[in-house]
Amino acid sequence: MKPGLGPRAWGLGVFVVIALATSCRKSPVQPCPNTRLALIPPRPQALGPSPAFDSIFRSAGAEFHVPPALLASVGWVETRWQMLRGAEEFPGRPAAFGVMGLRGAALARGAALAGVTVDAARHDPVANIRAAAALLAAYAAEAGGDWNAATARYSEIDMPAGRGAYLAAVADAQSAPQPAPAPTIAAAACPPPDTTAGPDFPSSIWRPSPNFDQRATDSTGVPHMVIIHTCESNYPSCWSWLANPVSQVSAHYVVNEDGSEISQLVREPTRAWHIAALYDCALNRRHACWLDSVQSNHFTVGIEHAGFALQDSFPRGLLERSAALVCDITRDRAIPRDWQHIVGHGQLQPANRTDPGPNWPWIAYVHRVQALCGELVVDDSSQFNASSDARVVVPAGWQAADTTPDYYGGGYHWASTNPTATDGVEFSFYVAASGTRTLDARWTSGTNRSPQATYALITSAGDTVQIGPVDQRIGGGAWHALGTWMLPVGWNSVVLLRRGATGSVVVADGLRVR
Amino acid sequence: MASRTTVAMVVLAILTAGCGPRTEPRPSDSQASERASASSAVIPQDTAFKGTIAPVQRTRSLLPYAARPVLRAVRADRGGGPSPSYDRVVFEFTGDSVPGYRVQYTTGPVQRCGSGDRVSVAGTGRLLVRFEPAQAHDEQGNPTPSLAARHSAPGLTAVREITLICDFEGQVEWVLGVAAQAAYRVSELTGPARVVLDVSW
Repeated sequence: MKPGLGPRAWGLGVFVVIALATSCRKSPVQPCPNTRLALIPPRPQALGPSPAFDSIFRSAGAEFHVPPALLASVGWVETRWQMLRGAEEFPGRPAAFGVMGLRGAALARGAALAGVTVDAARHDPVANIRAAAALLAAYAAEAGGDWNAATARYSEIDMPAGRGAYLAAVADAQSAPQPAPAPTIAAAACPPPDTTAGPDFPSSIWRPSPNFDQRATDSTGVPHMVIIHTCESNYPSCWSWLANPVSQVSAHYVVNEDGSEISQLVREPTRAWHIAALYDCALNRRHACWLDSVQSNHFTVGIEHAGFALQDSFPRGLLERSAALVCDITRDRAIPRDWQHIVGHGQLQPANRTDPGPNWPWIAYVHRVQALCGELVVDDSSQFNASSDARVVVPAGWQAADTTPDYYGGGYHWASTNPTATDGVEFSFYVAASGTRTLDARWTSGTNRSPQATYALITSAGDTVQIGPVDQRIGGGAWHALGTWMLPVGWNSVVLLRRGATGSVVVADGLRVR
Repeated sequence: MASRTTVAMVVLAILTAGCGPRTEPRPSDSQASERASASSAVIPQDTAFKGTIAPVQRTRSLLPYAARPVLRAVRADRGGGPSPSYDRVVFEFTGDSVPGYRVQYTTGPVQRCGSGDRVSVAGTGRLLVRFEPAQAHDEQGNPTPSLAARHSAPGLTAVREITLICDFEGQVEWVLGVAAQAAYRVSELTGPARVVLDVSW
């Protein structure tokens, strides 16, 4: 069944959209996209592709001498401007493809006329619309310039009544009288600046991009990492291109130069197109090797930042706002906040990408994400700690290692248990305002781990609390709560001791305070 | 002499810019602009097509926020004068000089750089042409080479299909479907800045 034989409202919507887009075409940066969205009648997927196909309708129309409004209307009637990935609806009827719902022999003919391959005409929106335009132009020429006949033939509907309904739906879009403008746009050629909130990050601006598809439905499709990018351009150039269907690229978010604005382009639950690499855990401290060879877009959320991988430093405002965004994403998606889950594009795709470049302040950035989410982590290596509020002391004799993956930071320390040993790894953290804190410890997995690891909490007031024993044979590679205490202002510490029966090891990987 | 060269260069520039020729100047035609610009490469003579199948690379870096070369046109046609022996693909950029580039055959999968989607092209040879730093769209998010030029099947002897597979984060990459892996050569022209890729029949 052909879609779109329904309400006249669709045609009206098309007209308004086209009129708006036309009047705002000279807008330097933002062709008024979101007000357009508000005027479009409800669609099956409220957040699906936007009328960003306008530019293609215009250029393809110009190229093949087809009225762009006719192209847009036919596209709307056919698919409501969704990119169809063809599936055979009825036995014997070829599947429809693309924004224009092209199928079968018509698709092949349109592709040939437009000079594109059949494959491109199926899957590439630009090729699809150009093929449809070329086909409509050919039909019109063969009908002596009769666009109605051309459109009816395009519908491939045999029954006269069906053809009539199809033509009516398309014709409405072009002949309907211009509706009274909505009050908000009556005064100006362009509507006021858009302030539609992003659906996942409310303080972002929602500028939907059609460049996305669905994540895998199995565990590989669960958002698991945040990928940090730089645009290699300024902000308007960046988001406007990523929102254009021609670009075939996108990101979930774009942060501007000083952090005063964030655009959301793609919903977090769907798959944006920002990282081509297949995942390789060797590039990410052997974290999540079960995702090896999975296309990285499946399980990542991508953030573009205005600027360049080669720049010397990044503005404080950009970093601060970006960190707030990452805090929000990681909280909503239950993504751990560390350097294996907040990762640079270039790190995972070193063959041809370097962004965000050598001067992205990774340590401070992740610390800021943690702080905004109300947590502080003390690593077993000083290089991963902010000395202002986190310190570690590792006694001689504790071995550094990174053999077992899924550690925090760059590795962990371990020591053999000993019944008379008194030393331990001391994780200290500064408490600026007294209050209750939950403390989490972390170790890496292994059968030789101690079943009775002992911790001690030493407060800034000098009180000592023994914690444990904790069974380190289980639960490696994740945070585990030690308990919740009222802590005084100042430097408080947790010490992992190695006192215990010989024959096992204790692992000090980190302490989290929240 | 100097002034005559300058005049010739200006005339050539006007001709090429104003008329949008379907066929690029043959190597012999471009002597003036070559001599006028120390940075342009010497074009090999048609009669001695000594190409390569090894990667050809030139790197160029720009300061952050310096204007990137914008690809504004791509043209493909047969080359070589009265007795053609190769196909010529011309990539034309705004500004005075071309971006860095890398040209190489690949036997691995060809992917779009954002989505990772596989891209297939006609022919058994797949020639990748990457430009960096460069973009193929303007600052308002509009594509600069025509939509038709971003994916075309020119139907030439060697070059069967030309597809833009990446226009993202300062990289522009194309895949050329070549009838069979054949020698190619890369050269540069100025006024306007162009990278010229010849693929032997």
